[in-house]
Amino acid sequence: MATISGIRTSRYGLLLCALLFAACTSTTVDEFRQGETGIENHESVVILGRRQASDYETRSEFVECVGDRMARGENAINVIPEQEFIDAMFPWFEPRTAPLRTRDLEQLMAEDAVARTMGEFGIRYIVWLDGYTETTDRQGSISCTIGPGGGGCFGFGTWEDDANFDARVWDVGSLTNVGTINTDATGQSYLPALVVPIPLIARVEANACNRLAAQLKDFVNGS
Amino acid sequence: METRTNTVRSRGKLVVMLIAATLLASCGVSNVTIEGSFPTPNISKLPLSVAVYYDEALRDFSYLEYSETGQEEFNIASGQSHIQLFNAILPAMFDNVIVVNSMEEAASSGADAVFMPLIEEFQLALPAKTKLDVYEVWVKYNMRLVTPTGDYIADWVLTSYGKTPTETFRSVEAGINEAAVVALRDLASSFSLTFSQVPEVNDWLASL
Repeated sequence: MATISGIRTSRYGLLLCALLFAACTSTTVDEFRQGETGIENHESVVILGRRQASDYETRSEFVECVGDRMARGENAINVIPEQEFIDAMFPWFEPRTAPLRTRDLEQLMAEDAVARTMGEFGIRYIVWLDGYTETTDRQGSISCTIGPGGGGCFGFGTWEDDANFDARVWDVGSLTNVGTINTDATGQSYLPALVVPIPLIARVEANACNRLAAQLKDFVNGS
Repeated sequence: METRTNTVRSRGKLVVMLIAATLLASCGVSNVTIEGSFPTPNISKLPLSVAVYYDEALRDFSYLEYSETGQEEFNIASGQSHIQLFNAILPAMFDNVIVVNSMEEAASSGADAVFMPLIEEFQLALPAKTKLDVYEVWVKYNMRLVTPTGDYIADWVLTSYGKTPTETFRSVEAGINEAAVVALRDLASSFSLTFSQVPEVNDWLASL
């Protein structure tokens, strides 16, 4: 009896381990360079989310995550917080007024107030992040019950997350687009419930953020 | 023994009254006062002295949202936040701004023009009705610019739109406030950038 119970426990353990490994993500990063890059110590970068689309907007949490990662570690870059920059530049970088092409940025820089504030921040590059995370292929079901003797859940759920983000890098000095980096992270998440639900979540957005930030840091540094 | 029974009864009554009060309160209209902060526009000032007159309709503006059963659901007061917004953007647009309480005061203010904003329409989209995880606010304005003596200079329509980012856990009041603040910011950006492009305003500026 003790052996059967041991076998069952080890089977559940193996199942859990398998699911833990399965709930990982695969990330692809593509870089397209259109110009030379490099940054001095006194210069900085601002990372902005695109929000002009009606059906989605780039989450400010993702923009903040990329900025935080770029400002840390070896070859750290001085990153201006998104909201601080947008407020200081008000009303030029609002969803309806933000420049969509480098030609628009050229016109914008002709405004004295804009050029002055850009100079005060020491902005060398503007990075435009555009994308979102989508959840698809939801399958399975979980039912929970509660009674006088206690409660519990039983069932199994699974879904796929896909985070796809583009980063366009504008050189404020030459007013040109110097490159684009695309990150696509996908992962399968699982939610088995045996009395207690055990979420095994694929951290696609966190992985996309880490990989994109590392690539952007190298790109801006010119390496 | 009787005293104890009376105490239990009075406590029971209190509980019943509290439950009834909570139920009644949940049936009533929820009041939402729009509150937010707005940055000063980073634009070049026009060399003008402008008087601004906020009439009663703007100062006390509130919008009533009804439920699908026709009951009053939310009363959204946004008049004061509009005044706060205009008080933040107008001094960045003009050399001198004077807030006046009447047109008579405007006539003696020595201003070049009097600006009178008016809210014409306010629309709200709630997730419970649209089945989307976002709150949306749309506002239509009538902007009027007259001479200090009340003669017409310009009269134009502006619309503003604001929506919240997708988020599941948020109170309805916080969602409405956030969407309205985004809409007010949108108004500030379009008003400050398009003011001198309004044909009548452009003609008037050229005639000065």
